Amino acid sequence: MDMPKVTRRTFLKVSAAAGGAAAAAPRLLQAMENELGGRDYGPVTMAQRQAIPYTCHVCNIQDGAIAYVENGRIVKLEGNPEHVSTRGRLCAKGNAGMWYTYNPDRVLYPLKRVGARGEGKWKRITWEEALTEVAQRLDAALKEDPNTIMLKWGRDRTGGALIRFMHTLGSDNTMNHTSVCESSKKVGLEPTWGPDIETPDFSKTKYVLNFGSNVLEASYFHNPLSQRVTEGRIDNHMKIVTFDVRLSNTAGYSDEWIPVFPGTDGAVALAIGHVILRDDLQDSEFINTWTNVTVEELKEHYKSFTPEWAEKISGVPAATIERLAHEFATTKPATVFTYRGPAKHLYGSYNEKACMMLPILTGNVEKAGGYCLPRGMGWPQPNPKPPKPAKHAYANHHHHPLFPLASHGVSHLTPFDIFEGRTKVNVYFTYMDNPVYTNPGAQAVWGQLFKDEKLIPFFVSISTVIGEETAYADIILPDCMFLERWEPESMPNSLWPWLGIRQPIIAPLGETRETRVILRDIIHKLDPDGSRGMKQYWNFKDGEDYMRQHFDNIPGLKDVGGLDFLKKKGVWPIYGKLDSRTGKVVDKTGREIKAEYELYKKELSDSDMMGATIEPNGLIVKNGKAIGIRRNGKNYVGFPTPNRLLNVRVDEWAKYGFNPMPTFKRVPWHETMKDDELVLTTYKFNVHVQSRTASVKWLAEIVHNNPMWINPETAKKIGVKTGDLVRVESKVGYLVTKAYVTEGIHPKVVAIATGCGHWEYGRLATLKLNEKPQFGGTEDPDLKNVWWDDKGVHPNIIIPAIADPIGGSQAWYDTVVRVTKAGPNDKYGDVFGDFQKHLEAYREGLRFTYKGDLHRKMHPEMAHWPGPEQSQDQGQHS
Amino acid sequence: MSEELRVSSIETRGVPGKRRYAMVIDTRRCIGCMACQVACKAEYDTPLGVNRTWVPYKVTGKYPNVKKHFLPRLCNHCDDPPCVRNCPVEATFKVDDGGFVLQRYERCIGCRSCMAACPYNARFMLPSHRTYTPITNVVDKCTFCFHRVTQNLVPACVQTCVGRARVFGDLNDPNSEVSYLVAHNPTQVLRPEQGTKPHVFYIGADRNHTEYGRDAYRRIEVMESEHAAWKKHFDL
Repeated sequence: MDMPKVTRRTFLKVSAAAGGAAAAAPRLLQAMENELGGRDYGPVTMAQRQAIPYTCHVCNIQDGAIAYVENGRIVKLEGNPEHVSTRGRLCAKGNAGMWYTYNPDRVLYPLKRVGARGEGKWKRITWEEALTEVAQRLDAALKEDPNTIMLKWGRDRTGGALIRFMHTLGSDNTMNHTSVCESSKKVGLEPTWGPDIETPDFSKTKYVLNFGSNVLEASYFHNPLSQRVTEGRIDNHMKIVTFDVRLSNTAGYSDEWIPVFPGTDGAVALAIGHVILRDDLQDSEFINTWTNVTVEELKEHYKSFTPEWAEKISGVPAATIERLAHEFATTKPATVFTYRGPAKHLYGSYNEKACMMLPILTGNVEKAGGYCLPRGMGWPQPNPKPPKPAKHAYANHHHHPLFPLASHGVSHLTPFDIFEGRTKVNVYFTYMDNPVYTNPGAQAVWGQLFKDEKLIPFFVSISTVIGEETAYADIILPDCMFLERWEPESMPNSLWPWLGIRQPIIAPLGETRETRVILRDIIHKLDPDGSRGMKQYWNFKDGEDYMRQHFDNIPGLKDVGGLDFLKKKGVWPIYGKLDSRTGKVVDKTGREIKAEYELYKKELSDSDMMGATIEPNGLIVKNGKAIGIRRNGKNYVGFPTPNRLLNVRVDEWAKYGFNPMPTFKRVPWHETMKDDELVLTTYKFNVHVQSRTASVKWLAEIVHNNPMWINPETAKKIGVKTGDLVRVESKVGYLVTKAYVTEGIHPKVVAIATGCGHWEYGRLATLKLNEKPQFGGTEDPDLKNVWWDDKGVHPNIIIPAIADPIGGSQAWYDTVVRVTKAGPNDKYGDVFGDFQKHLEAYREGLRFTYKGDLHRKMHPEMAHWPGPEQSQDQGQHS
Repeated sequence: MSEELRVSSIETRGVPGKRRYAMVIDTRRCIGCMACQVACKAEYDTPLGVNRTWVPYKVTGKYPNVKKHFLPRLCNHCDDPPCVRNCPVEATFKVDDGGFVLQRYERCIGCRSCMAACPYNARFMLPSHRTYTPITNVVDKCTFCFHRVTQNLVPACVQTCVGRARVFGDLNDPNSEVSYLVAHNPTQVLRPEQGTKPHVFYIGADRNHTEYGRDAYRRIEVMESEHAAWKKHFDL
């Protein structure tokens, strides 16, 4: 382009731009505003409190935080003002985090079961007795087969200690919980983008299409992203449109809430893509340069996904789809966000993929205000490391033979694999998990499993409280809460990568020990003199010593003091200072710090290219490893995928007969729903996590019950009003709860929140407050003030276990129910689930897997697929 | 504000040499996350059943055009506070420099006159049982975090506000953020007709959604059932 001649007009334009820059610069006259935290004083004593930084772990967002201690008690928690993601703020759950530690119903010494499984009769034992018994049972199991030792965690933030423990034992039988969480989202994304999930740049964007994420209440990454959503919406005047079956706080906050029929977000997203391609609004250069497909291929592929087609499926008017497509494609920058809404369905992976195609089509990738890749950091593991187990388990946390693409496991089908003899268990460990409450089938399935001493001969729970699952344990090893233990952390919860730690704010309460110390003590009991070769992997003095081995040799961090820096600051690096006027992190000149964008366009240096070869397709390979891609004559690092491109076409999916291109499959049983049938969905409140917060008094006070949301039109048909009892019946069970009639829900949907209706988890969660704390905890006098008498009803027992044949994710939002006014014999809180019917539903669900008989029927477009026999070899462990 | 417009001699808005702290709550930024309510509970070891700050909400509209509104609430630290006038024992008072309306626990006789006088329902009686703070059975309220503000910190609810909906500062300083926000945005106060001169200013709070008397913004049917349980428990 020629240099523009400076006429008066262009000069004025330039001045206007400079004026804009001046407006963005700090205001000249500023008051001395009060500081936004970092110190704390007792309101009664007025004394300054001791401050210790840590990383929050009430949920999995991993906010940087500071704990304040007065008279040896943790009295206040707040966000760490030096943390670039958290910026000094915590959510409601984080602010209440000390009540995990001071929960009067915590287990403060080892316990042994004395009654029948689950009867609730316990005997206090010593650590020596507990460890001896666990070691004996492990010894016997090791003689048979190390893989008969199973460990399932709900949340593993030990930074590698759990895997180290299992590998030390030689067992591959590790299981996570991701399939009841967001796994199909990740499986939908990762083959295209590389590891983990996106980081939408909300604060800089002008337009957001939010498909089924409730980021202002839960989701990845609630607190840091919510801060940026409000900034974007108010300071940057962005528009946000939310697709959801229910008026979540996010939908209620959005400029537009578009109700969709459950599981049809993918069809809407495809239709938006159709309009973009039809009207030639796509970013052709980006698509042709950076993806493995061409614009022509996409135009052809998207032809059939018309707005009229999507309207029939989703109920979203075609005109709305046309309008949103134009708004989205012509407003720059724009971004997309999704979470469990699209993903937790039978074909959730297809839904996720359809949604995340939109930033690709419009080239809103890795741009300021666009759809960015995650920025994370790692840490090395202490040496020596145990070798990977010699023999593969039938299934583990990243592999299931019937779900070869489900790279985050299919944990919720575990009980069926045990019932049907494919997984044999001698010793079952559970850590920070509660599937008897959190999984589909709940007590009807997992309760049935844990009751059976033949299937689970020995059950060890590493836990802080007796929840629904730990209630079935044989031995309880009392764990520390997150404010009492050491852990390494990093989470891509903003555009700035960071490393953080958790460190003990106070000494562990009672006889509790931190997780890695418990695991070490078990190994040391099994191999006291090191002759079995296990002890060498557990060579550390305490949690702090273990952290030193993680953190003392990280380049950059090492120069400022390694672990000692983290102990003082809680997080590294420190990107800037929190401005008390704006609440933003600013540099020395007072301007907001800037993120790095377009990471894929980083050019490889000459030394990077030394000894590298460039393949005909542009792939740059060095020492047998792809390190980048050549595009337009330049050597870029590209995307973190094997071919360094965005893989719109996922060839791996086609190997198992799944459509490798963006597509949509309707849930078959939704197509045949009768007039009086509704879809049951679940959701999370902003003040609760899935199962662990009902014992936290300040959160339980805000939300302690979960009446069923129902649309007024639907409620009128069945003759119920708010507060009336209703009977909700699925094909596997029923429950009786109260109705809450609200305009904020789709007429074909009812919603029951999780987080309430506990039958274990201590006296507050179960409202049995006339009892005394039993396991060493100190009573909280404030519990005398508990004024509510309704603990809610938990819905999971009537939800069958169905897995996405691609992503392995539980289809939480697909359950068809019949809702009626409760009968004379129905009591509030009645729940029932039929184990046999759950088993049948699980088997029915398997028919959609790549080996199942319905797979081909669901994929007529894949007629050329040779069938599962040819794919079998690829179904093995990778 | 000019001298003749001032009703009471204790008013400090616009008085030179005095600070007049205020809170601006930008409801457009409030996501109803409840962080403020819980941070406040932690700051003061506030017992269950009572709150110094709370966040009621309201759902408006007809399906599918529905919205959710939050209205964070707390003591308005009025420039002309009726609670102070109505306290028979001078247990409640206004701090001249700063404008905090505070409570002297050792003077409070628990007569609840101040609770009855407050048009905002911002005061409450402390129950007999608390976790670790020995102050019980007297009236308590939001202090604008007097102990933090005097240490140059913002109140706890402002500190943790995820959406940065709550902003705190000195309204008598024309260069403060609160002065800037009040000067540049239309603001609302609750129940202006009471003449209390509230010092919590809202941005984007629709009068139609704030004029619900003392129980503004709660789900009516939930409120009824929960109040019944609450009243039964505290034997009221």
